[in-house]
Amino acid sequence: MAEVNMEQLLNCALCPNMCRCECPILQVTGREAVAPAGKARITALVRENQLDWDEDMLEAASNCLGCRGCTIHCPFPELNLCDELLYSRMTAKAEGISLPFLDPYLNNLRKYSSPYGQKTGAVVTSGCEAEVLFFNGCTSLANNPASIEATRSLLDRAKVSYKMIEEDCCGYPAQVWGEQELARQLAAENRRKFAAGGASTLVTNCPECWLTFTQRYPDLGQELPLEIIDGPAYFLRLIREGYLEPKKNPNGGDLEIISYHDPCIWARTAEKVDEPREILHMVPGLKVEEPFSSGSCTRCCGGGSMFQLSFPQIASAIARRRLEEFSKEAQIVTACPFCREGLLQEGRQVLELVDLLERSFK
Amino acid sequence: MVDALHTTLQESKTDQVLIDRYAGEAAEIVGAENVSANQADLLSTCRDYWPVGNIWRAEGSVPALPQLVVWPHNTEEVSRLLALADREKIPVTPFGEGSGALGGVVPLRGGVTFDLKRMNKVRAIDEKNLLVTVESGLNGALYEEQLNHAGYTGGHFPQSLRCSTVGGWLSCRAAGQFSTRYGKIEDIAVSLEAVLPDGTIFSGRNVPRTATGPRVDHFLLGSEGTLGIITSATLRIWPLPEKRRLAAYTFERLEDGLEAIRLFMRAGTRPAVVRLYDSQETGNHFPDLGDERCALILLIEGAAKIVEAEASVIEDCVQSRGAESAGYKHVEHWLEKRFDISVASMLFQKGAVLDTIEVSTNWHNAHSTYRTMQEALLGVEGTMLVSGHYSHVYPEGAALYMTTVGFPGEDKIAYYKKIWQVAMKACLAEGSAFSHHHGVGLHRGLWMAEEHGTGLDVLRRIKKALDPHEIMNYGKLGLGEVQKWQK
Repeated sequence: MAEVNMEQLLNCALCPNMCRCECPILQVTGREAVAPAGKARITALVRENQLDWDEDMLEAASNCLGCRGCTIHCPFPELNLCDELLYSRMTAKAEGISLPFLDPYLNNLRKYSSPYGQKTGAVVTSGCEAEVLFFNGCTSLANNPASIEATRSLLDRAKVSYKMIEEDCCGYPAQVWGEQELARQLAAENRRKFAAGGASTLVTNCPECWLTFTQRYPDLGQELPLEIIDGPAYFLRLIREGYLEPKKNPNGGDLEIISYHDPCIWARTAEKVDEPREILHMVPGLKVEEPFSSGSCTRCCGGGSMFQLSFPQIASAIARRRLEEFSKEAQIVTACPFCREGLLQEGRQVLELVDLLERSFK
Repeated sequence: MVDALHTTLQESKTDQVLIDRYAGEAAEIVGAENVSANQADLLSTCRDYWPVGNIWRAEGSVPALPQLVVWPHNTEEVSRLLALADREKIPVTPFGEGSGALGGVVPLRGGVTFDLKRMNKVRAIDEKNLLVTVESGLNGALYEEQLNHAGYTGGHFPQSLRCSTVGGWLSCRAAGQFSTRYGKIEDIAVSLEAVLPDGTIFSGRNVPRTATGPRVDHFLLGSEGTLGIITSATLRIWPLPEKRRLAAYTFERLEDGLEAIRLFMRAGTRPAVVRLYDSQETGNHFPDLGDERCALILLIEGAAKIVEAEASVIEDCVQSRGAESAGYKHVEHWLEKRFDISVASMLFQKGAVLDTIEVSTNWHNAHSTYRTMQEALLGVEGTMLVSGHYSHVYPEGAALYMTTVGFPGEDKIAYYKKIWQVAMKACLAEGSAFSHHHGVGLHRGLWMAEEHGTGLDVLRRIKKALDPHEIMNYGKLGLGEVQKWQK
């Protein structure tokens, strides 16, 4: 289990925070306690035993999207405040402090292995022996079964030997909500299932799942014995290698203006900003127009760290703020089920990359 | 169980019954979700970037705590909240982004802190008249970003750009790194909208200049929340510059650099950035230039023909004082690093006390003030390094920015007080003003009488007239007793 790096946490706590302009939560709430240094100071006081956790302080320290927007201007290259806060929050449970409004979602996780509750059954498991295990993630399962169908259709077109399985949550929600043991249990179960399937490659369209599999599972002692590939990179590979060839303008005729919303994790953690754009440029009839902030300087949709469940009003406000950065004429495309859902809920049509790609074949 | 932190400077608190009643009425004005007495909110608004706050934080204490935080969303709400506080004689402390370096937001008497960051809209960009009206709680970088998006610049780039608000700039007469061309914030501000403690809303007019009596709105410039709350401002803007030219030079002596600057300012040039470093800072910032000469970096921008003309005049002036050209890459390096103050956090963790002291000098004492302050600071036991640079220049003089680093051992607070005592004494003895742009806050109030003479009494009379119940930001600008800090 990774430990809190006090030197880095204090670097943030002692800093006036040149990152404040890029913290979406601070910018929509105006609340000092949720500024990066606000959270770092509270957390440092607890870690140094100068204060005990209380519910309010834990709530403030939980106000982190994990978007790493604060890293854009951060002068401390080794500081990852999102992770320091995540590790720190885990200590609150040991002190008997938790956030009661998260209980329903945690109960869902324990009972159904999904924070959203009973699974809809949208995924039909397929393929007994397959090279690729495709992991959809709870949010696609709950909110956008069509993207799963699009994914399946694309994989079928490319004649990929793949399978989808009855999924358990990757465990990320449990981690961000401070339930380390539950996260470990989910990770262990997933590891067992993945190892049993015989696949050599795991692909996921969900950045939170990808982050959890690649970076959290080793911390939890559950390193996966598969190659883990993000969806944008995988589909780009299929196109480059000639297994998929986008045929026509998905709009069916006129040139379509597309704006790609970079999901934070793909852009800043996985550093995948070129792959989705390369895919878009390979689809005939699209004109790609960048939003006000993009690439590694993208701004969060408000959906990180399960905010659409835990802090829905803040998530909505951040999504509205982000939408102001897109032109009204553009079709927004993204590569994250949280981003799609958050932006969609604020009234814009949003497609996932796989949806757009599949439409180009119809 | 540790459920509260010790407060070191709390002068008093308001009866909790009054606070609770205020909270209830405030909730009716701004909504219950914008009123908080929870510990996380009180802790986070109790201090700014005053180094003393960090020293005490490490010891498990805070300067003072508010009893309530409110988040107004517009001027009307500020007015109603202030009138309510005035009626109940509850202390009020305005709070922006907490980047002040002198304890200006420490709520010495508890009461209510007004966090103004929800007031963050650009109300209008007036392209014809080159004006923008903006609310005071908007983050500086986001303000500039919105202007850039529309093809303009606000011309104001303090080092705290990304961690300060427009209201904070106006409240403490801030200066940006491009101030020689665009001016300090008081030069950029055309009019202010503000609320007095009794709830009165007033604003100035957006005309270039007036002869209609004193500009009462401008009276709030630099008032640091002691007279009322600035809620919005109309500021000058400029089209994004057509051309930018960078140049760096070195001089054998600091005095030569100062004289070169004086000459090109006298000639009427206005480069945006003019920074002259002493030899120590030259070595620190630009190692390849060594630490024996003094670096001058310049950034000239605007219409291309004007930029070329200014560059030519400046070249003549610097050459006349023996400058050696150092190309332009050092200016690019400075542009890249100009918001990086990570060294402060890192040195603090190693036991250092680091602070910066900026003062305002005329040309006749610009260099002697540097020498006198440096000598005084180096004379304090524990001081390891004292360096300086000139960062804002005018036809009549320059701002001097001293940096001091010491390793005082156990009693950091005593050391901190000592370095300021000697620095302020040296500055005032030289006839320089004790602040150029950081403001007064809590700490520098100790020298307000020496700085202003009878002018301080005038300020006190104005304070008494506008804020008879002394609710506004108690103990700042030298207005009000700050017994615990004076000890």
